[in-house]
Amino acid sequence: MSTATATRTDSAPETAERKGPLRYSRQEMMAIAAGREIKDGELAIFGVGLSLLAGYFAQEHHGPNIRSMTEGGIYGATPIGGLPWGIECNRLSANATSFTGGLDALGFLVASGRVDVGLIGAAQVDKFGNVNTTGIWDRSKGNGLGDTYTPPKTRLTGAGGANDIASGAKRTVIMVTHEAKRFVDKVDYISSPGYLEGGDARARYGFVGGGPSAIVTTLGILRPHPETKEFWLDAYYPFSSVDEVRAQTGWDLKVFRHARMIAPPTVAEVEALRRVDVTGMLRREK
Amino acid sequence: MSINKLLPLAEAAQRYAGDGIQYASGAGLPVGADAIAFGRELVRQGRRNLHALFHCNTQQLNLLAAAGTVDKAEVGFSGLEGFGFANGLRRVVEEGKLALEDYSNLAMALRFLGGALNWPFVPATTCIGSDIQQRSAFAPEEYPATGKIPEIADPFSGRTLGAYSPLKPDLAVIHVTLADPEGNAIMIGSEWSRFELSRAAKRLVLVADHIVDTDCMRQYPNLVRIPGLIVDAVVWWPFSAWPAASPGVHDVDEAHMKLMNEWLATEEGTFRYIDRYIFSYQTVDAYLNLIGQDVISKLEDSPTRFLLDPFRQWILDRAKVEQLQAENHILKRAA
Repeated sequence: MSTATATRTDSAPETAERKGPLRYSRQEMMAIAAGREIKDGELAIFGVGLSLLAGYFAQEHHGPNIRSMTEGGIYGATPIGGLPWGIECNRLSANATSFTGGLDALGFLVASGRVDVGLIGAAQVDKFGNVNTTGIWDRSKGNGLGDTYTPPKTRLTGAGGANDIASGAKRTVIMVTHEAKRFVDKVDYISSPGYLEGGDARARYGFVGGGPSAIVTTLGILRPHPETKEFWLDAYYPFSSVDEVRAQTGWDLKVFRHARMIAPPTVAEVEALRRVDVTGMLRREK
Repeated sequence: MSINKLLPLAEAAQRYAGDGIQYASGAGLPVGADAIAFGRELVRQGRRNLHALFHCNTQQLNLLAAAGTVDKAEVGFSGLEGFGFANGLRRVVEEGKLALEDYSNLAMALRFLGGALNWPFVPATTCIGSDIQQRSAFAPEEYPATGKIPEIADPFSGRTLGAYSPLKPDLAVIHVTLADPEGNAIMIGSEWSRFELSRAAKRLVLVADHIVDTDCMRQYPNLVRIPGLIVDAVVWWPFSAWPAASPGVHDVDEAHMKLMNEWLATEEGTFRYIDRYIFSYQTVDAYLNLIGQDVISKLEDSPTRFLLDPFRQWILDRAKVEQLQAENHILKRAA
């Protein structure tokens, strides 16, 4: 996914100017934009994969007081040696200050409503921020699954803890590669709830958590409309455009009037990210 | 010396794992410690029709699914984290040979907790409203599914919740870092749901990296989250989590994680895997040779190695462990 590297634009801050053109990948831009969503001091939970990098980037760059954890109940850890293979990987376990377990992390801290923000990934996401990580069904049969459950054409990883985070965290940030096949009008299967059918549908279930506050992608940032909860385009990147984002979105994406290009990464941000992503997962060619 | 429950791996599998049982493991995470060696033994012994309860898929479930040992499974997560999709499991699910019932990670922990406490159900505030609640692979004709996570009313507030069914597996096989001969056990790393699972299971077998003297447990009783009195048998099998990691003992074998997942993607590759990595050994020595001494040395050079330091002085040497296995009272009682 990181084939396109972008050149820093003139709007980049001073710090970057001095070092000449700053090159970064689309995936790095996504990780930095997602990391900016996490504020210093927050209690944050990171899912497996790129969201771990975005989360620990935030801690490294602007959030020394971010209280981070993974759903494995690994607390106080900073990854060493690159992207951990899993949320309990030895790359994290090597310097943790507490090991507990799933019931503690996802139950006592997430389902209870204590966690401020969770970062999760998605294979498919729809206009109400519902996430599918379970399977892809044959779309020639209407909307994937019919009245009968059939095995998926392509089985994915299942919900894991993302459902629990999407249900219980005060807010969720979804990270996903921006491709039309992933941005669908309605997901084949809701593995982790966004705003369900939109509006106040979440209220029917009394979820403890507030739902997704942003979908951060390789092309831009989508945020929910305050009333309908449909996701609209809020920002694009120096290397993307409103037209490109709309073309890669499978529903008729609306654009907030205030939509703008967000600040490109600073040198400090890229350096902080690469200290976490030492094996260059975010710079890898697809 | 405490009660001696040490059993050889093959003997423990024969004794406690029959065809068609509800078999729980995977209480470690996909990359973390799971008693994968026990799953290899189940394949060797030709077990069939197992109903697997794996909190998370691991390479063990990937193997059992690919080999046709399991035909039903319930999981919170079915991938291999950074190692991608579990190709063996996904192949048999897509072919309709294995019914895979989806839950979330909290749901599985709560269902084990419900089983452990003998509760009739556990209130669910997650999974509700999603297709995890609406769709059931075990009741495919039912949409929305009514029996999987049925709606209930909170008797106090009237609010609509879900109900999780409790789990009481026939057998749980749990990987631990350290066990004494009685089954008092210490886990290094995320406990995941091994605490709840150990109490939910009807039978409990531990597979340990190291057997330690009971004095170790007396020094750190707060760390003994599985007490021997609920344990049926203890198996010593070094590198039993291989190719996954055991924090404090060894890292994940990245090359073999990939090879195993690649081979399990096809039926032909699965036969090759079983031939090469299961039927090729019987003894601990042959198993370790299969992994290779150079690989073992590399994996043992883990950044987590220091976690084991406080416990090393109590680790029993191999001769002592084998002597205890030979003297085991369970075997004597059976004879």
